Amino acid sequence: MGTIAHNSLNAKLVLLGDMGAGKSSLVLRFVKGQFLEFQESTIGAAFFSQTVAVKDATVKFEIWDTAGQERYHSLAPMYYRGAAAAIIVFDITSTDSFARAKKWVQELQKQGNPNMVMALAGNKSDLEDRRKVTAEEGRIYAEENGLFFMETSAKAAINVNDIFYEIARRLPRAQPAQNPAGMILVDRPVKGSLTASCCS
Amino acid sequence: MQETDLLDLSDEADYAASQQHGSTSMMRSDSDSGKRSSSSETDPAEVLFAKDNVAIHPTQFASERISGRLKLIKQGCSLFLTWIPYKGQSSNGRISEKDMSLYTIRAEPLVDVRSIRRHTPALGWQYIIIVLSSGLAHPPLYFYNGGVREFLATIKQHIFLVRSAEDANVFLVNDLQNPLQRTLSSLELPRVSLASGPSTSISAGESPLNDDQERADGSIHDANSSISQYSGRHRQKNHDPARDLSIHVLEKFSLVTKFARETTSQLFRENSNGFGALDRKSYNLSADEYSPKAANNAEKVSNAHPVASDPMEFDKLSLVWGKPRQPPLGHEAWATFLDSEGRIVDSKDFKKRIFYGGVEHKLRTKVWPFLLGYYAYDSTYAERAYLRSTKKSEYETIKFQWQSITPEQAKRFTKFRERKGLIEKDVVRTDRSLSFYDGDDNPNVNLLRDILLTYSFYNFDLGYCQGMSDLLSPILFIMEEESESFWCFVALMERLGPNFNRDQNGMHSQLFALSKLVELLDSPLHNYFKQNECLNYFFCFRWVLIQFKREFEYDKTMRLWEVFWTHYLSEHLHLYVCVAILKRYRNKIMGEQMDFDTLLKFINELSGHIELDSILRDAEALCICAGENGAASIPPGTPPSLPIDNGLLYPQQDEVL
Repeated sequence: MGTIAHNSLNAKLVLLGDMGAGKSSLVLRFVKGQFLEFQESTIGAAFFSQTVAVKDATVKFEIWDTAGQERYHSLAPMYYRGAAAAIIVFDITSTDSFARAKKWVQELQKQGNPNMVMALAGNKSDLEDRRKVTAEEGRIYAEENGLFFMETSAKAAINVNDIFYEIARRLPRAQPAQNPAGMILVDRPVKGSLTASCCS
Repeated sequence: MQETDLLDLSDEADYAASQQHGSTSMMRSDSDSGKRSSSSETDPAEVLFAKDNVAIHPTQFASERISGRLKLIKQGCSLFLTWIPYKGQSSNGRISEKDMSLYTIRAEPLVDVRSIRRHTPALGWQYIIIVLSSGLAHPPLYFYNGGVREFLATIKQHIFLVRSAEDANVFLVNDLQNPLQRTLSSLELPRVSLASGPSTSISAGESPLNDDQERADGSIHDANSSISQYSGRHRQKNHDPARDLSIHVLEKFSLVTKFARETTSQLFRENSNGFGALDRKSYNLSADEYSPKAANNAEKVSNAHPVASDPMEFDKLSLVWGKPRQPPLGHEAWATFLDSEGRIVDSKDFKKRIFYGGVEHKLRTKVWPFLLGYYAYDSTYAERAYLRSTKKSEYETIKFQWQSITPEQAKRFTKFRERKGLIEKDVVRTDRSLSFYDGDDNPNVNLLRDILLTYSFYNFDLGYCQGMSDLLSPILFIMEEESESFWCFVALMERLGPNFNRDQNGMHSQLFALSKLVELLDSPLHNYFKQNECLNYFFCFRWVLIQFKREFEYDKTMRLWEVFWTHYLSEHLHLYVCVAILKRYRNKIMGEQMDFDTLLKFINELSGHIELDSILRDAEALCICAGENGAASIPPGTPPSLPIDNGLLYPQQDEVL
């Protein structure tokens, strides 16, 4: 959950999606500006942080990058619990990965933080000749489900920073004018979630 | 509250039977014992629920399942859960009394249970997993005769049980929204343990069970009371708080197994020297937290309590006795281990040599098949040559099974396409920075794919799972030959396969054992993890799943693995390596008040920064120091232990289907 102090914000963000969709590559591009053609698979989960500045505020993303294989699905709630934002990633060259992304969206809608800012990323947009999922399909699905959609390419550095910035802009924040002492004024409700734990 | 609110019980015939049973089996607890408090000894223990043929499956082998009776027992205002294995199951020789005792749930107070997860597969037996407040879980309890519903319904009649909003199959025990309220409510519940001094659950375990006819082992009770008496005597003689403390901690630990209890009492007798003294010393840091009066509620109430009182003192122990590492085994020394026909004469000595130094790189291709169990130590050159040729044709046969799938057939074979897809995605990103695997159309990458796909046909039930390519990569790198690599990988997976089980059972059992080892070897750190709800040890997931493959450079990983494979001091040296690393960074972890997130990040970022030789020495020392208590912390069947029987003689049967 994001916490607000002055005009800086910490926001937990989780990446979910099919294996090989490019979750780790998106993070690596965003955090380190790097791209590895053969990014190794993620075992368990990995954690990164990166700060961005939007308007008058800074947002420090605490990013959880998860393992994609279905068999590790049961570990995911540990990572998305308490997240303020999620990027659900699919590979535009794989309809299976798009179907999997939809399942993640449903799960988050059911079990995640109801105020979570969700983005749908159609990754590998550089592989136009192998495209299986049109941009239109992604956009319509996102619209219908209250997400915002971007096609990204971690390899070509297209829309990667943009998707994180867009999330940062959409995160709820305090009004600085009413917050002279830097106290937390906006306390977003945690409906339906369990009692606080160290993982949130 | 009506149980029908949540659970429709009308169609469960055995519910009525269990209710009947419950009402007729009132039990009086043994009132002779003067050790118990007055409030508890007058309360009768009432069996609210009893179910026969509830079993645990310690391994994948049907012959090693342990059946028993599950009960809910009410005493005073407290509800306990017990699961006692039937007597006589050890007669087949595969399940030892020790194993049965290890898994026995003597009297688990429901206030210590966080949640109960129900699994009702369409085919096969229903089972439940009981998760404790500490984050630890009992092994799954399989209800061969059904009855999960009435089990939950019975609990619901007596304590606050709600279905999780996140998962309809998870039932939360005592879950009140406000954590403070929850804490208070758990303190309000009169617990037998509160009145009975430091040996909390032992006394709780005695009272409801004194009359229990299904008790697996009559000596358990005696063992309990002899310890209590023994520690009592000691306390009168000597008021050294450290001694009291070590008794308390060891008693607490000894709840894990009867076996541990026996060794504990040994320790009390011998604790004037040897590592009994070390145990005492290492525990005395948390003396304040563990004074008998505070033991029960201090942990819950005072979360703000700082952790270790004197970490420096702890570091003085710093495990200086791991023997210096030796240079790796070379060709000349290797030759001395072989007789004229190629047998390794003294395999114990051989393994010891490799444990302390590893193997020279060029020799690995000869040595690894032995360490992995593909070659028998007492096999001759000729026998191995024969084995290689038969295994090669066996490999080709299995490989041909998927090679012969035509494109038309594949269209109608989703499982195959999916599996092939998973493997193809992973092999192209496995160790590609090594020259052995780099470049376009690298034949070794194709070999990785072929071997993994063939393995997924050889072990179709397990299939392919992320992490397997990491385990295969060094083996192929060393063995090079396809069939030999495959069979070495098969041998490794005989031990590590459960890491990839769908139910995560293999990983859970190792992380559980790890938590027990940390509790034994570094109780302040254990308490820190407990206070910060990090006892699930998921921050060590990657370490355990792929045996530190991502934590060390490639050649260091190979060195570490060959040391693991000797099983020289323990089959579970990898868990002691985990403890050694955690201990090395304990001051940083506790000093910086790391929570779960920070801890996982910190642990992941240790990759490439762990000094292998010194960690191995620490792990060796910890393993020796933990001794039998350490071994008893690790439930039998915990990977990478092999099942007790050879899998070829007792093929994997049915399981759920």
